[in-house]
Amino acid sequence: MPRPEPNTITFTIDGREVQAPENSMLVDAAKHGDVEIPVFCYEPKLGNPVGACRMCLVEVEGIGKLQTGCSTPVKDGMVVHTQSERVKEAQRSVVEFLLINHPLDCPVCDKGGECPLQDISFGWGGGISRFIEPKRHFVKPLELSPKIAIDRERCILCYRCVRFSQEISEDYQLVLLERGAHSFVSTFDGHPYVAPFSGNIIELCPVGALTSRSYRFRARPWDIEDAGTVCTLCPAQCNVKLTVRDERVMRVLSREHSEVDDGWLCDHGRFAYPELAQGTAATSQNGSGPAVRVGMRVSQPLLRDGGELRPVSWERALTEASAALKRAGAQTAALAGSGVSNEEGMLLARLMRDGLGSPHVDSRVHGALPLDLLQALSDPALQARVSDLEFAHSVLLLDCDPLQDAPILDLRLRKGVRRHGLTLERVAGGDLDALRETAKRLHEHGEEVVIVWGERFAAGPDGAERVRALLELAGELKLAETEGAGLLEIPATSNGRGLREVGVLPNGAPGLRPASGEGGKDASAIALALAAGELSALYLMQADPLDPADPFSASAGEGAWAGACERASTIVAHATLLSPGLYEHANVIFPAESYAEKEGTVTHPDGRIQRVRQAAARAGSTQPGWAVLGQLGELLGFDAGVLGERSASQQVFDSVAFYRGLTLEEIGGRGVRWQERHRDGDAGHEEASKGSAPHPHAFAGAEAEEHPAGNEGDGS
Amino acid sequence: MSELLLFKDIDEPGLNTLSVYEARGGYSSLRKALEMTPEQVLQQLEASGLRGRGGAGFQMGKKVSFLPQGSMSKYLVCNADESEPGTFKDRELMQKCPHMLIEGIAIAAYAAGADRSFVYIRGEYVLQADVLDAALAEARQAGYIGDRVLDTEHSLSLVIHRGAGAYICGEETGLLDSLEGKRGNPRLKPPFPANQGLYKGPTLINNVETLSTVPTIIAMGGEQYAKLGTETSTGTKLVSVSGHVQRPGNYEIELGIPSREIIYGLAGGPPEGHEIKCWFPGGSSSPVLLPDDLDVPYDFDSMAKAGSMLGSGAVIVVDDFTPIVDLALKVAKFYRHESCGKCTPCREGTNWTVKMLERIDSGEATPMDLDIMASVQDHIIGNCLCVLGDAMAMPIGSMIAKFRGEFEQHIEQARAREEAALVGAASGGGAH
Amino acid sequence: MSAVPRLPGGTRASGWDEPADLNKDPALIPDPATTEVPAELRKTIEEAMARYPERHSAAIPALHAAQELHGWCSPEAIEQVACVMRVTPAYLDSVASFYDMLEKQPVGRHSIYVCTNISCSLRGADALLAAVQEQAGEDPDFNVRAFECLGACDIAPMASVDGVYVGPLKDEDVPQLLDDARAGRPVLPEKQLATRLVADPNANSKEFPRHAPEEGKP
Ligand SMILES: Cc1cc2nc3c(=O)[nH]c(=O)nc-3n(C[C@H](O)[C@H](O)[C@H](O)COP(=O)(O)O)c2cc1C
Ligand code: SF4
Ligand code: FES
Repeated sequence: MPRPEPNTITFTIDGREVQAPENSMLVDAAKHGDVEIPVFCYEPKLGNPVGACRMCLVEVEGIGKLQTGCSTPVKDGMVVHTQSERVKEAQRSVVEFLLINHPLDCPVCDKGGECPLQDISFGWGGGISRFIEPKRHFVKPLELSPKIAIDRERCILCYRCVRFSQEISEDYQLVLLERGAHSFVSTFDGHPYVAPFSGNIIELCPVGALTSRSYRFRARPWDIEDAGTVCTLCPAQCNVKLTVRDERVMRVLSREHSEVDDGWLCDHGRFAYPELAQGTAATSQNGSGPAVRVGMRVSQPLLRDGGELRPVSWERALTEASAALKRAGAQTAALAGSGVSNEEGMLLARLMRDGLGSPHVDSRVHGALPLDLLQALSDPALQARVSDLEFAHSVLLLDCDPLQDAPILDLRLRKGVRRHGLTLERVAGGDLDALRETAKRLHEHGEEVVIVWGERFAAGPDGAERVRALLELAGELKLAETEGAGLLEIPATSNGRGLREVGVLPNGAPGLRPASGEGGKDASAIALALAAGELSALYLMQADPLDPADPFSASAGEGAWAGACERASTIVAHATLLSPGLYEHANVIFPAESYAEKEGTVTHPDGRIQRVRQAAARAGSTQPGWAVLGQLGELLGFDAGVLGERSASQQVFDSVAFYRGLTLEEIGGRGVRWQERHRDGDAGHEEASKGSAPHPHAFAGAEAEEHPAGNEGDGS
Repeated sequence: MSELLLFKDIDEPGLNTLSVYEARGGYSSLRKALEMTPEQVLQQLEASGLRGRGGAGFQMGKKVSFLPQGSMSKYLVCNADESEPGTFKDRELMQKCPHMLIEGIAIAAYAAGADRSFVYIRGEYVLQADVLDAALAEARQAGYIGDRVLDTEHSLSLVIHRGAGAYICGEETGLLDSLEGKRGNPRLKPPFPANQGLYKGPTLINNVETLSTVPTIIAMGGEQYAKLGTETSTGTKLVSVSGHVQRPGNYEIELGIPSREIIYGLAGGPPEGHEIKCWFPGGSSSPVLLPDDLDVPYDFDSMAKAGSMLGSGAVIVVDDFTPIVDLALKVAKFYRHESCGKCTPCREGTNWTVKMLERIDSGEATPMDLDIMASVQDHIIGNCLCVLGDAMAMPIGSMIAKFRGEFEQHIEQARAREEAALVGAASGGGAH
Repeated sequence: MSAVPRLPGGTRASGWDEPADLNKDPALIPDPATTEVPAELRKTIEEAMARYPERHSAAIPALHAAQELHGWCSPEAIEQVACVMRVTPAYLDSVASFYDMLEKQPVGRHSIYVCTNISCSLRGADALLAAVQEQAGEDPDFNVRAFECLGACDIAPMASVDGVYVGPLKDEDVPQLLDDARAGRPVLPEKQLATRLVADPNANSKEFPRHAPEEGKP
């Protein structure tokens, strides 16, 4: 569907001419002239303005009454005053009204220091209150849910939280009860507000009425730091802002990115901390402290001796691991799971191929696909973007449940349905006829069709056939030729796309080029081969196929992995939290960084390369994954070169043809879709754009050979 | 009294039944209208100059003309929430002559091109709603309402929707939200109901009396109707007179007659030994007027000029035995209770005003509080989402302005009482 | 005066001062399989939904019906309506608590709304309310409430007894009013609004005003 492309108009605000997009609301238009109009209830993310708080009153020449800037679209030639005495008096009075029943308990309020009510009272209030009557008093704070506390004295009834529950997450659990001055935010009959996205109301609340129970009283705004990064707990890769105090992550906030998360977070991503940092069981500090247990944060190398996992020094762990891997050599297999960065993935693949001579590396949970299919699927023209989910005519969910696989997309789809009349349908991949029939039907109602498919659609022996059928269908429907249409695969692991593109595949080298030498085994084949004794060692990078919570647990038939791990002579792992499978079977476990401790890049399912930035100190003696792989490489007599001058990221950019020329600076805080770099083949990237023109044949080895960097990427 | 239009035969037994109403020429206007084009009907309405009887006094014909042309389904909603204190005229019409309203709705819907209509009647009006339901059944039977009205191309459905007790649902957009099954919170305007009203469709909203007048207009012709009343306030109007008068009740008057004639002539004025202290010309939302204003002609513009408004046509008379503070408290408490709470100045302002008045009443105030209270009213007026806030602030403001002396006196007396009590307590208890 | 009973803490209904019960499940749209809905009620609600282009419009009629059946909008009543309307109970709770005629606490079967707004109070409504409250006493059968203007100022002071408007009322009328209501008889037949002619002088209370403030004119 057509996306709004407003033309620019000129209006006058406080005597200055300012350019702004036509029909943008005055509060937004004013920003173009560096004029701030205070708001409480206005939050564009929540849909149409409600004009409830009246904080944004301004004077518009030609209109008698003061107008609410949050709901008045700017027109060409409009003359607006935000500084007239009339406006100031109105703003002062609204602040005064709002503070009538507000407890002003700022000293003990979590919001203090980062509170819009404080800021606006300071900036626009009268400074005094003439209200001397008693305020309302109520029991506070109260639990609203296991995660959220509510303080109804502080509530200024801006409606944000209830609008979120009703119009964004559409769970309609949080409502306003009663009327007038007695109105209050509540749930039905004392039920808790439990919903997949409930935490967002904490961020929406402009006062300290809704607070995070885990963050309450943990820090004050002036002794915390913000650190922007990307949450890698699921493929949605939401942009987040971590609140850090004393090198520890205190809370997770949204770092709005309209092409990724639209400014929302799911509760899992928001509340996974501090568990991710400390683990569910207490960490054992340098040998002392409680015994090693499942769920604990791995903060130093662990080695199994006498059947027991024991903390050991890095030297010990590295030598033991390298010795075992040397023994297994080409009989080693490796899996890279959720949370593994492009850098780590590429190094792992190279360690396996070039260091141990084993092609048995995989990052796909549901089996390898022929390279030509992977290449065809990566056709930039065929790639749907996140915002397409909102503006397309229809979205077809194929073997994919957003709420499970990439929660934040669920909100995006709801938005599309609610605001842009998007049609949403689900089909199970088992029935290809149903798929074709549904897709065609949808296509008749509008050619912008996006098919969102889960990796599991490609599972099993006939997975490749199904994917082929999907590509044919895409061809018939001209999804590649249609702007706003396309395919979007939701991988099973959070950086699945990146890991494939950097070559963590049994049958592909970085850049989806053919691997030199014969192909290797995919995940399920690895399981069987280990069980059968054809392979002897297993390298698990942030993966545990025996952990039901781990995507890889679905990668092989019932019991296959149990057998594999039983039989494997050696299992070397990188882990953040100690999972059951590793606790049982791993011989060496290297502590892995949580995403908040990691530095590197990941690739969003739609091809957006994003930076993961270190926000907090690594737990215990944890070392960066790339450094560990580098050291292992050295011990195995193979120089990955990352310990030297060329950074791991640089290697990634060099070896993946269609990443070529990228720099961390270019990726920056918002990420870059490599497809778009080539589309607008901007200066400085001619080579890259030529070398990997947006068409499958760009992936062909021959093409890439032309580029020295390409060979380098091969590591040959 | 001038000729009666709406109240002609109003007390005729059985007028609420179809047979009697038809015998009195009922529904002939609908037949006549259906023979005209919707445009012609609209012309009659515009010619009549009929202004809304619900409070805002907006020209009905104009409002109808604002509805967009086109085939989208349009709605007509009759505002029968009648909750403005002192107002009870719509009740009378619906209870005694329901078919006149239904006929008016049918004609207005035809002019507006609406095919679905609703009557939003306040839940407390049980009897009137039952009467309407019965009348509607008859009208459906007779083919005045339903598919192909009287075998024309025009179809109209009608639903009687009962409210549940909330004054704000009389505000047209609050009414729409309530009719959609939500809390009756007023909406941001624009968009106006004419463009985006009920279920986001173009919607015409009119008051019971307004719509009940339509058949008369069609019968006598717009120009003829416009000859009644004044230049800008045409026709007749029902006024509900209540409070300190000897004959409270509904009266139909020709707009423009002196207010004195209503209060004294028709309602008999206050009884022996009582003088008028002040009076609300248009419901409790209108600024109070004084005895000196009794000769102000009773029409929209004259009332506005006199600093008040005709509003819903509810004249509330207050005699000189009534303390102004009591009156102010009543008014303020009503609006605090009825504020929907959506916007800040109304929610907090009504609440604060009540608390201040209570302090004044209990002697914990000083004359300075009157200034604060007055400025609070100023801060409410014009700054709210709808005009409920103004509806309190205007009368309260007018009382402070016109009776400041009495307020101050009240404060003094109350404080004196307080102190006396304290001293009494002290000397009684604390003496050694 | 406050038209609606207040609970400690100043709210009109319970809920404000209690935390959510963290052991409860979230209140989603009730599952028809596990939610018992009386057939009559279901029928009424479904008919109501059918009357409107959009089913939500049936919220108030549906809640009215549920209140008829349960005596008040109890959590159970609201869950039943929510189940039939396919909305969350919170949605309906929010609506119910907005409107004065929908009761959020258990109340007596017979509702007596005494109008205490301006016009009625000018004619002694506050005294009348006191009288009714005093004589109805603690009788659990009655739900005596001060109410905002009921739109019958011509028969001030007045009351609405189970929906029937009666007035002008004197203290002497109260006993019979209560008896009639209790017995389910027509309440004060000769004083019912239904029988009143428009602006009929004879229908108006003669002795007036009921109250002349003892301290005389302020
Ligand atoms: C707070 C408030 C209460 C209102 N109550 C009523 C009412 O009870 N009945 C009514 O007809 N109009 C009422 N109105 C006016 C309506 O908003 C609207 O103007 C009117 O119904 C339009 O019909 P009319 O043009 O025929 O008067 C109220 C307005 C406000 C702001
Ligand atoms: S709790 Fe916060 S977000 Fe919700 S209405 Fe109150 S102030 Fe607004
Ligand atoms: S921000 Fe405009 S009214 Fe609240």
